[in-house]
Amino acid sequence: MKKPNQTTMILLAGALTLALLIAFGAFFTWWSLASPRKTCLSCHEMQTNYDNWADSYHRDINCKSCHGGALSNGWHSMLENGRRVVGHFSGNSRPELAMQEEQILRILPRCKGCHEAEYADWQAGGHSVTYADIYLDATHNHTEQPHNDCMRCHGMFFSGNIAEIVTPVNNQGPWRFVDAEKAEQPVIPCLACHHIHRPGQPAQAPDYAEPQMIASTRPARLVNVEFYVRSEKTHFAAADLPALKLWEGARPVQVSDDVRQRVCSQCHAPDAWHQAGTSDDRTPRGVHEGLSCLACHAPHKHETAQSCGNCHPALSNCGLDVKVMDTTFRDPASKNNIHFAKCADCHKDGRTSTRKAG
Amino acid sequence: MTVNDISRRRFIGQTAAGLGVVSLLGCSAHFSHWRFFTEEEAKLVEAITGQIIPADDDPGAIEAGVVFYIDKQLVGPLAAYQADYRRGLPLLQHTCRKMFGKTFLELKWEEQTTVLKALESGNVDQQEWGEQSPQRFFSLLRDHTMQGFYGSPRHGGNRNYISYKMLDLDMPYIIGQNRYRQS
Ligand code: HEC
Ligand code: HEC
Ligand code: HEC
Ligand code: HEC
Ligand code: HEC
Ligand code: HEC
Ligand code: HEC
Ligand code: HEC
Repeated sequence: MKKPNQTTMILLAGALTLALLIAFGAFFTWWSLASPRKTCLSCHEMQTNYDNWADSYHRDINCKSCHGGALSNGWHSMLENGRRVVGHFSGNSRPELAMQEEQILRILPRCKGCHEAEYADWQAGGHSVTYADIYLDATHNHTEQPHNDCMRCHGMFFSGNIAEIVTPVNNQGPWRFVDAEKAEQPVIPCLACHHIHRPGQPAQAPDYAEPQMIASTRPARLVNVEFYVRSEKTHFAAADLPALKLWEGARPVQVSDDVRQRVCSQCHAPDAWHQAGTSDDRTPRGVHEGLSCLACHAPHKHETAQSCGNCHPALSNCGLDVKVMDTTFRDPASKNNIHFAKCADCHKDGRTSTRKAG
Repeated sequence: MTVNDISRRRFIGQTAAGLGVVSLLGCSAHFSHWRFFTEEEAKLVEAITGQIIPADDDPGAIEAGVVFYIDKQLVGPLAAYQADYRRGLPLLQHTCRKMFGKTFLELKWEEQTTVLKALESGNVDQQEWGEQSPQRFFSLLRDHTMQGFYGSPRHGGNRNYISYKMLDLDMPYIIGQNRYRQS
């Protein structure tokens, strides 16, 4: 038999490659432009995610803006899709579509792309804290050895156990990461407090035809804040989280009914007996009792300097500017913690009773 | 490296891409929210769970999404019960038609209760049910409904800890870390 000569081979391969390239290019263009109903959704396993998205405040944004196109995540995502399909047709039930920490972290730069201000604030605040800051802290580790429960508040999306993060798991050290890449990853990413595939309304312009009605007809629009509950592998809306019941001795502390604070209280929490001031509790008592964290702390960056002026006149009860008074606002070393200070802490001699009128 | 080598590599690469495309298009089958149930079965089971734990002042099994629990577990740990559902649900419909000439979903609330009571007491057309035990099927439905209502949301039911809220359990617990330096 006559061997096909090399030129024919090259031509043939070239033609095939070209044909595939064209087909592929056309597919890719379609994939990138078509409605998610036709592309992402063609894997029917995503129906629920689609429905959630279609009702969400991100409804005007294409799946790919967050998840990347079929290819921009590289062959990896293609492989995943492939596996999903195989799993599906082998009757091996429907795989759970939950995102792994790796994917959650991969989305962060995309959030940044559209929410630059919030991202920058988060970066500047304490919540951009990394695995290295939390899990290699010698003081912390010597006192309490790292364990699985840490991940409830630090690293909630990590799917393994503590031994897969840090080694050795004891209080002797020295500690290092099992996977060196973890060191720089954030332990409280945006998705610890935000949930994308959930109902929400995009903002709408008011009816300018009746300017005097704008205020009274403005629909209440709460920013959606949720908390990712690691043990359940799902988010809970702030309103579905329990309200903190807190005691100072036997006295029930009045806790703000701002539902957003319930998210804060999941981590900045008192001990199991809910005694005020235990563990990481910062629930305001004393002069600021009943205020929400967010009355003073801006979200993400947590700066408080702008907040005092919202409530305090230039001169306070004490005839002083609260900003320069002896509290932890002015000096972190002050013994008057801004969260807990009472009139009596500074007025031990009972001078508060001579409070002037006006 | 020869020209031929390069194009063969590219060829393989593109073919792989092509296969990827095919694999993506390949799953453009029908849509379903359900793993095991058909759309009709799911509606029926949901209504049954609503009968077993109805909403009163507090939400019931429907609000807790118990049918999602059953559907999810039937392709998991409860797979052994698949056949019971596939056989039991049509028999239950048969009993409805026999007693009221309608399907379960068309029945009034009290009639639905009557049908389930009939199953529970075994007071049904034995000929039709044959080998199947209506009592056993009922207790299966009741058990699975309870599990879905009171179990952990991670298994598919008890949406937003609905039943825990009813029991006044503050879940997820608010418990701070063990602090060595207390403020
Ligand atoms: C604004 C960004 C954004 C958009 C737009 C978006 N997603 Fe998501 N998606 C996310 C994030 C973040 C998660 C992680 C869970 C969550 O927060 O909902 C996620 C999770 C998922 C999951 C995994 C399920 C899970 O709960 O972990 C699937 C599947 C999914 N999205 C599909 C889609 C599809 C299909 C579309 C378009 C119809 C879409 N997404 C649009 C950001 C987005
Ligand atoms: C392609 C741009 C885009 C990307 C990517 C994106 N968002 Fe958004 N996001 C928006 C827009 C636009 C809105 C405002 C919609 C509106 O309210 O009208 C919004 C609104 C929000 C809100 C406020 C919702 C509310 O209740 O008012 C949050 C929180 C949010 N995004 C978080 C995220 C997070 C977290 C990510 C990354 C997973 C992300 N977004 C990715 C464009 C984007
Ligand atoms: C209930 C949630 C929660 C758990 C569980 C938890 N932490 Fe924290 N962690 C916090 C909060 C809140 C802060 C910030 C405290 C503050 O500044 O008031 C914090 C701060 C830290 C810090 C910063 C330094 C310091 O001591 O404030 C380290 C390190 C740390 N945690 C390590 C751990 C380790 C290791 C574990 C497990 C043994 C753990 N955490 C368990 C909530 C938690
Ligand atoms: C510790 C919890 C927490 C984390 C982590 C967090 N946020 Fe937020 N975010 C909040 C809270 C609380 C609000 C609501 C503020 C309000 O009600 O005005 C908010 C509001 C928002 C809004 C709406 C702003 C507006 O005024 O409409 C956007 C957008 C947003 N966050 C994006 C992000 C992004 C992007 C990240 C990650 C870089 C992130 N958030 C991380 C708690 C968090
Ligand atoms: C997922 C757990 C978690 C949640 C939820 C959380 N925090 Fe934090 N927060 C931490 C940890 C951990 C630190 C300490 C980080 C460090 O050591 O830098 C911290 C630090 C802080 C700080 C001090 C550092 C700074 O940025 O000024 C403030 C203030 C703060 N959080 C406020 C809040 C508020 C307000 C909320 C609710 C909107 C909240 N936190 C929700 C875990 C959490
Ligand atoms: C009356 C205003 C006010 C309220 C309300 C408030 N904070 Fe603060 N908080 C401050 C000020 C002021 C500081 C210290 C200076 C700064 O960081 O701006 C601070 C610091 C912090 C710190 C870091 C320093 C420390 O004490 O360890 C954390 C953590 C914190 N606040 C958490 C919270 C949480 C959680 C809430 C709600 C439960 C809350 N705060 C409510 C004003 C407030
Ligand atoms: C949401 C309102 C609100 C904010 C924000 C707020 N405070 Fe106050 N503050 C109060 C109230 C109310 C009192 C108690 C007044 C009373 O009981 O007569 C008070 C009392 C005080 C007192 C005791 C002395 C006095 O004049 O009563 C100090 C000190 C103080 N605040 C400091 C601060 C500082 C510093 C900030 C900014 C970080 C701040 N507060 C932010 C509402 C607020
Ligand atoms: C952080 C410490 C601090 C706290 C908290 C505080 N004060 Fe004062 N107060 C002062 C100082 C300092 C002065 C001025 C110097 C002085 O007279 O001792 C003052 C002065 C006063 C005066 C004027 C006294 C006079 O003789 O002129 C009154 C009235 C007063 N405080 C009432 C209150 C009340 C009411 C509260 C609680 C809502 C309160 N203070 C909380 C520190 C504090």
